[in-house]
Amino acid sequence: MADEKKDLLLKIRDLRIEGYSDEKWLEIVHGVDLTLHKGEVMGLIGESGAGKSTIGLAAMGFARDGCRISGGSIEFDGMELTTTSESDRRALRGSRIAYVAQSAAASFNPAHKIIDQHTEAPIHYRIRKRLEAQEDAMELYERLRLPNPQEIGFRYPHQVSGGQLQRAMTAMAMACRPDLIIFDEPTTALDVTTQIEVLAAIRDIVEQFNTAAIYITHDLAVVAQMADTIKVLLKGNEVEEADTETMLKSPKEDYTKSLWAVRSFKRPQKSRPGGDAVPVVSVENVDAAYGDTKVLSNVSFDVYAGMTVAVVGESGSGKSTTARCITGLLPPTSGKILMNGVDMPPSYKDRTKEELRKAQMIYQMADTALNPKVRICDIIGRPAQFYMGLRGAALKSRVDELLDLIELEPSKYYNRYPPELSGGQKQRIGIARALAADPTFIICDEVTSALDQLVAEGILKLLDRLQKELNLAYMFITHDLATVRSIADEVVVMKQGEVVEAGPKNEMFTPPHHPYTDLLLSSVPEMDPNWLTTVLEERGVDNIGEAATV
Amino acid sequence: MNYFVIGYYALLIGASCLAAYYSARTVFLLLFSLTLVSFIVGIVGGESSLWTITICAGLLALFGGTAFAFREFLAIVLPTEASKAIKTAPLTATFGLFVIMTYAIAGIFAPIIAPYGEAEVIAGAFAPADEHMLLGADQLGRDLFSRLVFGARNTVGIALLATTFAFVLGALAGLIAATLGGWFDQLMSRVVDVIMSVPSLIFALLLLSILGTNAFVLIVIIAVIYSPRVFRLTRAVAGNVVVMDYIEAARLRGEGLWYLIRREILPNSTAPLIAEFGLEFCFVFLLVAGLSFLGLGIQPPTADWGSMVRENATLISFGEITPLFPAGAIALLTVAVNFVVDWMLFRSSGLKG
Repeated sequence: MADEKKDLLLKIRDLRIEGYSDEKWLEIVHGVDLTLHKGEVMGLIGESGAGKSTIGLAAMGFARDGCRISGGSIEFDGMELTTTSESDRRALRGSRIAYVAQSAAASFNPAHKIIDQHTEAPIHYRIRKRLEAQEDAMELYERLRLPNPQEIGFRYPHQVSGGQLQRAMTAMAMACRPDLIIFDEPTTALDVTTQIEVLAAIRDIVEQFNTAAIYITHDLAVVAQMADTIKVLLKGNEVEEADTETMLKSPKEDYTKSLWAVRSFKRPQKSRPGGDAVPVVSVENVDAAYGDTKVLSNVSFDVYAGMTVAVVGESGSGKSTTARCITGLLPPTSGKILMNGVDMPPSYKDRTKEELRKAQMIYQMADTALNPKVRICDIIGRPAQFYMGLRGAALKSRVDELLDLIELEPSKYYNRYPPELSGGQKQRIGIARALAADPTFIICDEVTSALDQLVAEGILKLLDRLQKELNLAYMFITHDLATVRSIADEVVVMKQGEVVEAGPKNEMFTPPHHPYTDLLLSSVPEMDPNWLTTVLEERGVDNIGEAATV
Repeated sequence: MNYFVIGYYALLIGASCLAAYYSARTVFLLLFSLTLVSFIVGIVGGESSLWTITICAGLLALFGGTAFAFREFLAIVLPTEASKAIKTAPLTATFGLFVIMTYAIAGIFAPIIAPYGEAEVIAGAFAPADEHMLLGADQLGRDLFSRLVFGARNTVGIALLATTFAFVLGALAGLIAATLGGWFDQLMSRVVDVIMSVPSLIFALLLLSILGTNAFVLIVIIAVIYSPRVFRLTRAVAGNVVVMDYIEAARLRGEGLWYLIRREILPNSTAPLIAEFGLEFCFVFLLVAGLSFLGLGIQPPTADWGSMVRENATLISFGEITPLFPAGAIALLTVAVNFVVDWMLFRSSGLKG
């Protein structure tokens, strides 16, 4: 018992946080308890709006603008953070508590070299002199397996890749050897192949220095690798807490079970229609370039009616560029796009209304895909008005029908504006807009990657149902292989503008693979807590970086 | 010592004590530092300087009270959406709105409000104020107050028309340039560079000397001079909107240029444009007044504030404040418009709470 007390690092009791909106304070965190010992890693998971980040920041005694800590106690190593002065709290941040943000690219100051930002805290707190701090930084870079640890710090943030920057940020958090680090979704913005490097680096360094950590994420498989205990949050309340093993094997609450079950959505795989069926869309030997930079070379694949073709690959592999070629936004330099066997004009400007109508697109960010100043009825109604010439009552009944189709109540949403809707609802409106044109082919560009898992599952089920009812063909662009597993019929793997491998899904997911497909597949985190260790052993720890560039 | 001085200090110190008692920190600091300042000013300047301070404070309180009452009035009268916005508006903004409204009423109902016509000679030159003439007569014996009221209609009217025209011209070109891009964008931008490279006052003087001075020419010339700034702003704002996915979706749907501009881009760029309209209006207004002062703007006998300042300028050397009335009218409107624009900028920049 005495021992336990000595190890106690962070004790949060009945934490309440309020947010200011519509001219009044609303409670957003309703009394959460959290206990963290030295060297312990706790995972905080939940959907967006669950209060994960807010609690993470509160552990530093900090509340965002427009938020305030309204009750409870935060005790860090015997010091009560809610009552100490702001300057005392500031002295803790950076030196004893550090924070790693979701987007390293947005968090580094682009005007200063990485190492200058790294050494700012240790010099400021007089822990190290400048030269010592720089040497220490290089050592940390080496431990985090950054390439050229002696030299990389002297670059500017835009000169290194996203995964390297995220590791540099972790190194920066370690600069003063803090007792506690808060990781706020550090790998969410990264590709699976990069994510695995960052995860391995974070885990190693936390273990080496016996640092305690709070790891915030919405990805269960990731938290399973990193955390000793997991706490599940829902709308500012704690759902349950248990050590990782127990939590994964036997969650108690229904909500936790539903989170775990998301990944189990699967539909039977369809195969290509036999005989002389013509593909809805076929991409033939397409090359494309942005200016003088070649981005696609010799891309070919077919999409048949009622089927889903998933195009996978890491960022920069040319997935979205292929979509731009199909829609005509980026005319290919050579090759052809055929729809139902008919050659399409390369630029969308030369295509007829009818040709444009047949291929529609659903975007990744529903926020930017819907005009915030236009009402829902006009957003959905415009394609119907534009292509079919519907007016008045006929247009209204068509909009109602479409809203019914995407499971939103017409009377309630008809006159609303997009900013009044949640992320999932916006994405549904995006789908309805595509459907309003009565298309035969829809491009889904990372439609679920900005959404929470439960919401994303709802969207996938909706897309699947619509495909069955309307016999739609989908081209599904994603980097999430879990999504591919659940809905694809065929898979196209792309890398650096080329198709590496293509075929039916079940073939693609059974060995032997192309080495790149293999790398992609093995990088997808699994729910097994030992997955990361196993994968790293298989690959040989030191080769992670090299493996990613094979 | 007289009753005024004793009352003055008693009031200030009493109010400071009350503020301190109810722990209103800023109010207390303000009142008490005013007391201290008054001590020094009172010793140096005597009783009359204390009167000046009292009058200034009284005027300030009057303005504040007017602004507050006007805000409450608008909050009750306006529909719910607008009244919610007005409730959070600072007092400066509602004061500005009040002033603008007063000017608008004066301008619209000028013939009814003004006791005499704008060119009507009713007294001797520079006749002093009496019960017929609120502010006295000008250099030709015309009623200054009537001319001020008519001046609101002429000067503000021309400035408003010119600004609107400049906005239609600049915004349209900017929106088309941002949407189309390519050679049209290049061409328009270079034309705009050329116009901007000539100093605006000299450009206006030149064109007015060539084309002659009437109201229509004046409006067109000012619109052409001021449209480049609108063009640049609109092009930049629209440039940020054009890259959004919903524009791409509309383009892929096959929508035409006019639909893109009207339904997709314009609704998302209005906020900065409205704020810019207010600012631009001030500049245009000052240019109109300035041109009149130089004798190239609105021609006599039409009343306008710029030429009124020039015509009565000699009076200032005799210690008369008559020429300051039209100048004050210009200043007050400019300040009022800027108050309102500041508030709009604040709202559109999203710097709330």
